[in-house]
This record gives sequence, C-alpha cells and structure tokens, in this order.
Amino acid sequence: MSELAGPERSSRTGAADGRGSGNILELEDVRASYGRAEVLHGVSLQVSNGGVTAVLGANGAGKTTTLRAISGMVTAKGRIDLDGQDVLGSRPDQVARMGVAHVPQGRGTLDQLSVRENLLVGAYQRRDRKAVEAQIAECFELFPALARRQTSTAGNLSGGEQQMLAVCRALMSRPRLLLLDEPSLGLAPRTAEEVFEAIGRLQKETGLSMLVVEQTAALALALADTAVVLEIGRTVLTGPAEEMAGRDEVRRAYLGD
Amino acid sequence: MTTTGTPSPGATRVGPARRPASAPLRVLTVVALVAGVIAIALIPLSATPYTNYQLSVVAAFAVAILGLNIVSGYAGQISLGQSAFMGLGAYAAAFGVTHGWPVVASFLLAALLPAVVGLVVAIPAVRLRGNALATVTIILPILAVPLAKRFSDITGGSEGLNVDWMHAPAGVGLDDDQWRYYVVVAIAAVLFLLGRNIVVGRIGRAFAVVRTNEAVASAMGISAHRYKVLAFTIASFYGGAAGFLYVAVVQFASPDLPNFLVAINMLAALVIGGFASLWGSVVAGFFYVYVPVFAGAVDPSRTNIFYGAALLLVLFIVPGGVSGGVSRLVRLLVGRLFGRRPPARDDDALTDPQPITSTQQDTAVPDASPDGLRSSVGPRKEVP
Amino acid sequence: MQHAIQQIVDGLAAGSIYGALALALVLVYRATGMINFAQGLMAVASTYIALTLWQAGSPIGAAVAVAIAVSLVLGAVTERLVIRRFEGASPHTAVVVTVALLILINGIVGAIWGYNSQPFPSLFPTGTVTVGGVVLAIPSLATIGVLIAVVVLLQLLFLKTKLGLALRAVANNPESSALSGLNVGRLLMVGWALAAGLGALAGALIAPKVYLDPGMMDTILIYALAAAVLGGLDSPMGAVVAAWIIGVSENLAGTYIGFIGNDLKIGVPLVAMFVILLTRPQGLFGRKEAVRV
Repeated sequence: MSELAGPERSSRTGAADGRGSGNILELEDVRASYGRAEVLHGVSLQVSNGGVTAVLGANGAGKTTTLRAISGMVTAKGRIDLDGQDVLGSRPDQVARMGVAHVPQGRGTLDQLSVRENLLVGAYQRRDRKAVEAQIAECFELFPALARRQTSTAGNLSGGEQQMLAVCRALMSRPRLLLLDEPSLGLAPRTAEEVFEAIGRLQKETGLSMLVVEQTAALALALADTAVVLEIGRTVLTGPAEEMAGRDEVRRAYLGD
Repeated sequence: MTTTGTPSPGATRVGPARRPASAPLRVLTVVALVAGVIAIALIPLSATPYTNYQLSVVAAFAVAILGLNIVSGYAGQISLGQSAFMGLGAYAAAFGVTHGWPVVASFLLAALLPAVVGLVVAIPAVRLRGNALATVTIILPILAVPLAKRFSDITGGSEGLNVDWMHAPAGVGLDDDQWRYYVVVAIAAVLFLLGRNIVVGRIGRAFAVVRTNEAVASAMGISAHRYKVLAFTIASFYGGAAGFLYVAVVQFASPDLPNFLVAINMLAALVIGGFASLWGSVVAGFFYVYVPVFAGAVDPSRTNIFYGAALLLVLFIVPGGVSGGVSRLVRLLVGRLFGRRPPARDDDALTDPQPITSTQQDTAVPDASPDGLRSSVGPRKEVP
Repeated sequence: MQHAIQQIVDGLAAGSIYGALALALVLVYRATGMINFAQGLMAVASTYIALTLWQAGSPIGAAVAVAIAVSLVLGAVTERLVIRRFEGASPHTAVVVTVALLILINGIVGAIWGYNSQPFPSLFPTGTVTVGGVVLAIPSLATIGVLIAVVVLLQLLFLKTKLGLALRAVANNPESSALSGLNVGRLLMVGWALAAGLGALAGALIAPKVYLDPGMMDTILIYALAAAVLGGLDSPMGAVVAAWIIGVSENLAGTYIGFIGNDLKIGVPLVAMFVILLTRPQGLFGRKEAVRV
C-alpha cells in the first residue's frame, strides 16, 4: 500500500508568519466571487499534516466554492497557503502539480475514456511508468469492482464505481493533499458508507491529508479530526470533529434552522 | 421568476436590460429624437442623388439587420442565412413589379413569402442549438444562389431582374431619388417601430428568457421552441421586407444579394453596431453600406480587414458594440454632468453573462447562490 | 459501369479533400467546442504560403511541408491570442468570433496576394493507371491515399501516445483534466495547431484543381461542415466516412440525375445534413453527448 498516495510530508516550516507549521493547508479570510457576485465573504480553515478536516454547511453556504478557490477555479482574495507556499492566483493545473488532488462534485469522470485511461490521466505528470502500473494494480486491489471493468468506458460505471474511480484517479498523482467534494452525492446510503469506509481505510494506511466537503455530516465527522461550519460564505465555527455532532450550528446547517 | 439574495451568473435577467432612465437623460433622448426626425426629413432635399440612394440602401439593410437582430440578438439564435430571405424578398418584389401587381401586393408577397419559408425552415431547425443551428442556416444562402441561377425564367438567372418603378408621382415636386428615399425610410421607420414594440413587449421578454436560459423558460411555461420559431419567422419577414426596399431603391434583384458573404457581413455589422439594440441595427446598416465605400470598393481586402478587426475589437473590448459603447458613454457623461453615478455595467460581449474562467462553465450555478434556480430546474448543463 | 467506377473514385478523391478539412473542424470542435468557420480561410492562407515558396524556387513537396509546419504555429498562435479569450463562451459568441477571423483572414490574404485566381502545381504526377479496364487518375488515387495515411497517423496519435490521451481527456472534460494537472490551454493550442496543419494539407490538395484565390475554400468548407456534422462533430472517423459518402453521392447525383447537375449538386450534402441533424442530432457516428448546447 506504500505506493498509494505517499504524501510528501516535507518538514518545510509552515506559513510565513510562523503560524502552525503543522498545517498542510491554511485558509485565512478567503473571499471569492463569480463575476460580480461575491459568494465567499471570509472563510478560514486549516488542515493539519496527515489530518482530515470536514467542511459542513447548508446548501449554498460556499463549501464547493471554497474547494474551487483552493484549486484556482474561482478568483479569490485572502490567504491560501499550501505547506507554506502561496497558491492564490495559480491555475488549476498548477495547483494540481503542487500536490493537490481535487475530486470535484459529480466526480469529474472522463466518461468517454476507459477506466484505465482515467487512471493514466491522473498519473499524467509522472514519468515512472513501472510505479504507475504498480499503483494502478493497487488501486484495482483496493476497489475490485474497478478491476473487472478496467477497459470499459468510465461513463458506463455506476455512481459508486465512478466515485471510487475518481478517488483512485486523484491518488494517481501522489498528492500531499486530497480535496473531496461531496463524495456521497447521488449514492445510495449503503454505497456512500462503503465509499467512506474505503476512504477512511486509505487515510489510516497512508496518512494522507484531506479536506472533505460533505452533506451527510455523520459520515464526514466520523472520518475527520477537525470540522468547520460555513454559513452564507463565512466560517462560523471550527473545532474538533467529535465535539461537533451536537452543536447547534451543525444542526442548523443540516436541518435548515 | 423572483430571485432572492445574490443572483448567480446563471441567473436570468428577465426582459431586455432597461433601466429607468434618469430625467436629464430622458430629456436628452427626446431632444435627440426630434432633431433626428427633422434631419432625416430634410436631408434628401439638399443632398446629392447619390447620397439619397446610399441612405436609402442603408435603410433597407438596417431593416434586414433588425430582423437578424431579433432572431440572433434578442432571441439568441445565430443565423448565418439572413441574406437568403432578403434575396427572396427582392426577387418576389421584382416579380410583382414585372407582372404589374399593385405596390402593396408586391410588398406583401416580398415580406410574406420569405416569412413562410422562414417558418417552414424554422419549425424543424430550431430544435438545433448554437453551433448546429448556425451550420444549418448557412445552407440557405449557399443553396439560394444556384437556385436563383437555375430558375432563370423567373429570376433572370445570373443577369438578375431589372425593374423600373417607384417613380415620384407627378405633382409632388420630388425627384425619383428623393421620393424613393421618403418611401423607403418611412416603411423602414414603421418596421422599426413595430420591431421596438416586439422587443420591449411580452414577446421580447419571452425572447430574453429563451436566450438566457431555456430551462427557466420552460419552468415559466414559455415554449422555447415556439418562440424561437416566431423569432425566425419575424426575422424572415423583415429580411423579405428589406428585399422589397432594396429593389425599390436599386431597381434590381440578382444572385449577388442572397450570398453567403452578405449574410456573414450582416452578422458582423450587427455585432459591431450592437447586439440586442435597435440603434445597433441602424448603426449596422450604415456600417454595411459605408465601410466598403470608405475602404475603397475596388479593394475588398481593406473592407474585410476593417470588418474583421472591428468585430474582434468589439468582442474583446467594446461589449455591446458601437451603440452599447455610445450609450454607456452618454450615461457616463450625463452622470458626470448631473452628479449621478453611472450604472454598473452588466452586459458584455454579445449580452451574455461571460464566464470568469473557462473551467467554470460546467457548473454555471455555483453552490453558494441561493437563488432557487438550482432546486427548481437543476444545473443548466443537464438540460437536454 | 466503368464510367460509374471512375465517378466513384473521383468522388472519393473529392471526399478525401472535404475529409481533411472536416477532420480539422472535428479537432477544433473536440478541443474547444467551437465550429471554426475560419478553418477554410486559414487553409487558404497556408496554401498561399506554399505557393509563395514554390514561386521562389522550392520544390512543391517541400513548399507544402513548410507551409504545413508554419500553419501548425499559426494555428497555435490563433488559439492563444484570440480563441483563448472566448473559451467557454456561449455558442453564439463563439460563432461570431470565428466569423470575425474568417473575414479578417480573407482581408489579409487579399491584401497580400490579391483576389485573382492563381494556378497551383499538383503534388502528384498527372497520368492514369488502368485497373481491370477502368482508367483511374493518379492524383485522385494519391489524394485518397494521403487521407488514409492522415487518418492512420491521427488514430495512432490519439490512441497510442500520452499526448493523444491528454488531448482526448481535455476534449472530454477540461475541468477534470485541469484538476489532474493537465495544462488545458496548451493542449487546446495543440488541437488548433493540428487542425491548421490539416487545413493546410487540404488546401494544397484542392488548389491544383480549382486554382487558388481567397474564396477557394468557401464551398469546400461547406462540404467539410456537412461531413463533420454528419459524422457527429466529435468523431474523426465519422467525419472521414461522411466526407467520402458526400463526395461519391454528390458526384453520382450530379452526373446521373439531370435536374441536379453540376450547379445544384452542393445541395445533396446540405439537404442530407439537414435531414440527419433533425432525425439524429448526434450525427451518423457521433455519441449522444456530442451535441453540446
């Protein structure tokens, strides 16, 4: 399993202002807008090295936009540091090459390519062909369902299989940080649990840092060590995941008031 | 469609962007209109016959381009075939004249025959969108030219049809060029008023919804299909009427008119003049006629370089074309003079909400836009 | 019968030229979701470059090769300087952008080389071969051969190389590709460059038959559009097969159906395109998703 996603835990000392060198990702007062409409009005959060942070919030709170801001897919202001390195203003492909793998909402499947080709696209930056092949094999070991369908067109996979493929594709780049946008979206509850089980196993084995946006709070909080609640584009609450389940803000985010 | 909170870039702006004009602006507009009408009425009395001829041709093309504007600018369905309808109208007018029909009958034939053809083509064609629709509309001029040459007993073949009509009635005291100018400009003015009523009224609002978001249109009970057919039919009607005006001035219908390049240049002139703007169509008519004159009719390369460059210029930096640019400038100046803030710019290249980056298009409705759009009709890309 | 076979071969040769330009349209469509109405005039510009080199004393084969190479660069530059700004724009903005390019390039070509027709040398020796009693023109056969070679090379590029995989990924889902670290902009440039190169080839193949002037590709573009649409817009093989069908059917219709004749034969593919679009919007060979809004 060592080939899978070995995060480069470089010990570069963190942010310029010396804050939290243990964090792989730090967002401070991030604002982002689509055109003239600002949708993030000040989001702050951290992902610790080897840790998992869950982003919770109601529909429209700005969870997806936060991930898109990190990946350079929307114009953003504020501070976004990846391992002490400023990523604000970088293009999505540059952010990806800095070691951020982003599984977008809806999984971003390359639906006209085969399962195998999807994985090869994930490994596009890598030159070590043997290791890539080994990792593809490991991926198929982790998700046997994918192995059976490796030459079929990815668009024909079920939703759960596509989600597994998306996670594998993201891991193929050997990221140091994984961004997951609503992995359970559109999946049957049982399938969603399976996907989260696999992600959790992966996290334990590799120590990969993750930032997870999720509607189903229970799934996310079980995986995360830290949780952040967004309301209308702002961070309103940050704390250890296990303390969050009972909080009013969390309930409000999901029960709608 | 009431939206609450911050509108997303995918949110629909219902109806043409009409802001309540400020009082000084309204006064200015009225003064300009009155002055314009007087100038239009007086010009032919002192101008040379050739100038009157050119201005009459401008009016004819402005009408054709207004038609194109209704289907492409207001309803958002790009047509590369408007010249075919203008050509058909021209032949129909010439046919009526050579067969001794009354002028009104010739006009009706010239306007209604293209409208019917437009309707028949549109009913199936508007099921296509964007690229495919533009591709299909090219067929019209490409086929029109060989067809016109083929049916030479009606059309006069490559030679075209010469007509001799629309002379100034005795006793009016006008020369032919002046008379034709007044007739053509008067008809064009009526057609523009009609067009204005269409685009600011209920139909125009429906066009705007269809243009910006068909899913919203269907959620509002607006049949996108029906309104697109209507837009095409209106455009063909205007094209045909413009063909009539053209024959009234030029006294000639030939296969040079329903040409593919004429259609392309009309579209170019429209974008330069200003998409989805009535004044834009007028400006476009002037462009269409005068750019080749100024560039030197002998050397078409200069015309084309100018057109191509102007078009790119509009697309890159002057969204809204000349009319959009001028109206922004006027608003800005009026605002400065009378101490009002200019309104924020909300249009861009061709009146569409412009994407911020290419990667954002796929999720036109971001999650942080509580506009109710998403829950009711889903993201745009899933529209079949 | 022999006459019919000759007509078919000539039709295939004409179809091969439409096919080369149709492939260019498909490459651009796959990369950027645009139909490049300027593709024909870009090809005309390339052909003039080849003509200028040939007139300066270069052998025609080398002149065409250099022109293709220059076109690759010009295609990439066009994407970077003009098209990049409008990627992801609405279809009607995209149409107007390429129409602007069409008009502009027409003007530039006219300003440099004028609007008079100029003869262009054939890449292939004139002459005929007799196969089973049927006399076939060598240029026709060679043209068909060139297109087949192009198709094979493109398939190898797309299916067997890493660059090809990246091009397909970007065509399929640019957002996901960018998130996987692919430089989408650079790959779109490659798509436009390849298309311009193919257009240059099409120009060099058609010019000896029709003489070279700025309007040379106008009708060819229409045929190529019809072929690309019939083929489904995102299917290179579909475009080529459709182009051959168009070439053969219009040749046969023009020859054997009196009413159609030479002047109306262009109507054959256009009417076919209209009918196909309405009954099967994804084209004869395209995937359903190909018809983007």
